[in-house]
Amino acid sequence: MNSAAIPALVEDCYGDDRWMCMHKRFLIEAKEREPEVVLIGDFTVAMLSHTEVWEKYFVSMHCLNFGISEDKTQNVLWRIENGEVEFMNPKVIILSVGANNYENTAKEVVEGIHACLTAIRSYHPKAQIVVLKLFPCGQHLNPVREKINQINNLLEAQVKSLSNIQVVNLDPGFVQTDGTINHHDLYDYQHLTRTAYMQAFRPLSDLIQQLIREITLAVVETPTLPDE
Amino acid sequence: MEAEEREPEVVLIGDFTIAMLAHTEVWEKYFVSMHCLNFGISEDKTQNVLWRIENGEIETMNPKIIVLSVGANNYENTAQEVVEGVRACVTAIRSYHNSAEIVVLKLFPCGQYPNPVREKINQINSLLEAELKASPNIQVVNLDPGFVQTDGTINHHDLYDYKHLTRRAYMQAFSPLSDLIQQLIRELTLPQAETPTLPDE
Repeated sequence: MNSAAIPALVEDCYGDDRWMCMHKRFLIEAKEREPEVVLIGDFTVAMLSHTEVWEKYFVSMHCLNFGISEDKTQNVLWRIENGEVEFMNPKVIILSVGANNYENTAKEVVEGIHACLTAIRSYHPKAQIVVLKLFPCGQHLNPVREKINQINNLLEAQVKSLSNIQVVNLDPGFVQTDGTINHHDLYDYQHLTRTAYMQAFRPLSDLIQQLIREITLAVVETPTLPDE
Repeated sequence: MEAEEREPEVVLIGDFTIAMLAHTEVWEKYFVSMHCLNFGISEDKTQNVLWRIENGEIETMNPKIIVLSVGANNYENTAQEVVEGVRACVTAIRSYHNSAEIVVLKLFPCGQYPNPVREKINQINSLLEAELKASPNIQVVNLDPGFVQTDGTINHHDLYDYKHLTRRAYMQAFSPLSDLIQQLIRELTLPQAETPTLPDE
């Protein structure tokens, strides 16, 4: 049994009920606004909404941000299956999750992501889905980076053949030639700084704009990011 | 290592309240120019900050002011225990710097609706004030501009996940702290009888 692929809400162990309050707020936003683009996932998505790149390039594209920082694949899966993407008609859905699944193997994490994709697809057979590869972490070389590399490779292999789904790598090269990550990019060696978000996510905003354009003009060929 | 290379006049140490401050406009506009160092680690509990204090983070420097904000992650401790933890941090800081001004921040409220954690935070804040206010060169400061609205709710435009401050909430809450720090630096440079404090709540 893979915990990463079984939908699970986050229990309110402390009494402030924050996770469920956020989920309920997302349900309301999903119904009240008419997003063309929805981003859902963990801290990579959540903290994006507090950056200049979001304000400059994403807000104008009618985007909704359904990120919750601590979420694992099973939590995002639960949210997808409990209405967060159901009552809307987005053209593009961005998924970024897996970085918090410390207790799962790379393979299990990818199964969890795959479960999220299947769930999204069940509500939106035609939407373009973009799955983000995980960013590296840690100041120096470490086992978590290796696991992240495995996850990213498996993701690419598993998802590439599915139609209208792309796996995208936004990492502009945070790991420097000496193998270290700089705190000016990842301030705690896990979360991106605002400048790193600008560098990493500008290409994503370009891709989304292209996708929206193509879907609107219903052209045969789907744009992708340039090969790495 | 940062502590040895730069000569900070002000050091801020603590948890996410401090850590995330470093990525805000209020930090860039008002704190950077005051030679501040930010030693926040988001997940830290009082015992983690205490360890860092006792293991060199503030030892090899001579700051005029040290700002401490911690306790919000100590979910498994009672209010009394959290305050003991904060006090231990203050004592440890004092052991390295007998004349620095120490500013302890009260905890911000959390959760969208009234909830037990808010009550615990209120207890922590009251106890902090009672226990530390009398100590010389220590102030307990409340930066909460009123995030809990009249209907008892907290807005996600202020605390985006009902725990962490947004950039604009940081501007609202921390501009007064930058004013206080500037005044303190001025007073400490020109010794006078009275130490500035924030206006009464």
